[in-house]
Amino acid sequence: MDRGLYLAASGMLAEQVRQDQIANDLANASTPGYKADRTAQSAFGELMLSNRVTGQQVGSQSTAVQVDEIETDFSPQPARETGEPLDFAIVGEGFFAVQTDGGTRYTRNGQFTANAEGLLVTAQGDPVLGPGGQTIRVGAGGQVDPRRLGVVTLNNPRKDGDSLVAGTPGGGTRGQVRAGALETSGADAARSMVDMIASLRAFEAGQRVIQTIDESLGKAANTVGTLNG
Amino acid sequence: MLEGLNSAAAGMAAQQQRLDATANDLANANTNGYKRMRVGFRDLVYTQAGRPAADGVRIGAGSAAIDAGRGFSQGTARETGEPLDVAIQGDGFLRVRTPDGGVGLTRDGALQVDGNRRVTTASGALLQPPLTIPESVSLEDVKIDADGTVRAGEQRLGRIEVVNVRAPQGLQSIGDNLFAPTATSGQPTGAPAATKLVQGSLEGSNVNVSDAMVGMIEAQRSFELASRAIKTADQMMEIANGVKR
Repeated sequence: MDRGLYLAASGMLAEQVRQDQIANDLANASTPGYKADRTAQSAFGELMLSNRVTGQQVGSQSTAVQVDEIETDFSPQPARETGEPLDFAIVGEGFFAVQTDGGTRYTRNGQFTANAEGLLVTAQGDPVLGPGGQTIRVGAGGQVDPRRLGVVTLNNPRKDGDSLVAGTPGGGTRGQVRAGALETSGADAARSMVDMIASLRAFEAGQRVIQTIDESLGKAANTVGTLNG
Repeated sequence: MLEGLNSAAAGMAAQQQRLDATANDLANANTNGYKRMRVGFRDLVYTQAGRPAADGVRIGAGSAAIDAGRGFSQGTARETGEPLDVAIQGDGFLRVRTPDGGVGLTRDGALQVDGNRRVTTASGALLQPPLTIPESVSLEDVKIDADGTVRAGEQRLGRIEVVNVRAPQGLQSIGDNLFAPTATSGQPTGAPAATKLVQGSLEGSNVNVSDAMVGMIEAQRSFELASRAIKTADQMMEIANGVKR
């Protein structure tokens, strides 16, 4: 009987992780090139239950649920015109390559600027790389031909913070770079709100299960066996 | 527990910064030579979460606003007919001496003369190199050529120099419509030959009011969304507290 208590508690913990993920999506509803996450949870440690008298199997029961993965939806989002010459968006698949202190990273957040050496850099100051891995010089009039920016497709991209993505370059069709535009955030406010409400209610249901089991245990402990119960 | 509270709070703070920048843009929609602010966003670090912490389960810590400098696109020029009004067409800035003796750059070409007939900006900062209009010359007779040469009839009075920096986005705004060069922007050098001065007109602000309004609405709604995440996290803690009655 007390197995249900742990089962309900593990479900509540999983919902907490989901809420944290949704809060991050909502906080990034305006971040250019942001990619939305999705929390996947699964049951683990299934037990086969059997009738104690006859030995007949009555089915399986999960011992807990856990969040086993947070998946990122890397599909391209529509671009939005900004009119700034150093804003870039990739129409289609792929990432801009960026030279960071920790090695080459990738990003779809194309809000770039120029540094004192006249190089195209991210807002964090990391140089943006061209197709051959070279740095890009900002031309006269503060413009950069979008064709000079490299686009890299990635195998197993993984978010690395600061709008950067880690991964290994792969094949496939690459998108076109457009100047004067930014990719909109992939966080969908409506879906996030619905997920948030659903998750909240699932969390609440977990609480009710614990309370109900607690009540039954209370009855077992206090009522069963009393003469006037 | 519930890192989402902090992520959502970070998102709200970032939106607040964008709202401040948009408010500044709107307040300067009619300021000569004003350049709109560029505010960007980035997501923050991703850390492992869940119990047990699994490799594929990584949750971000929200977002932060980033200052991407200014958008230096040309503002629309406006005819004024005033002899000492100049609009810069193309890249570049007028160089002035700030009251504390430093170098200031501006695109506000509403020039005037002070008591000593020296040419200053509207806020009184002296033009560099200095230019003096002699007492004998009426301001109406002053002609400013596209290359900055200042003349009165056949007499050459001096030249208004237009300078540029390598990375204008790195300029620091110091108020009074002035920018100061920094290590990121580089020091001022001569402006490209394509840059022209137009006498008798002023460059307006490059703030697009409708874009700024849309940005403000978006910032407000995003702020609201993040606040809902905080409210939900609060409700969840309340529910967790209610487990033991």
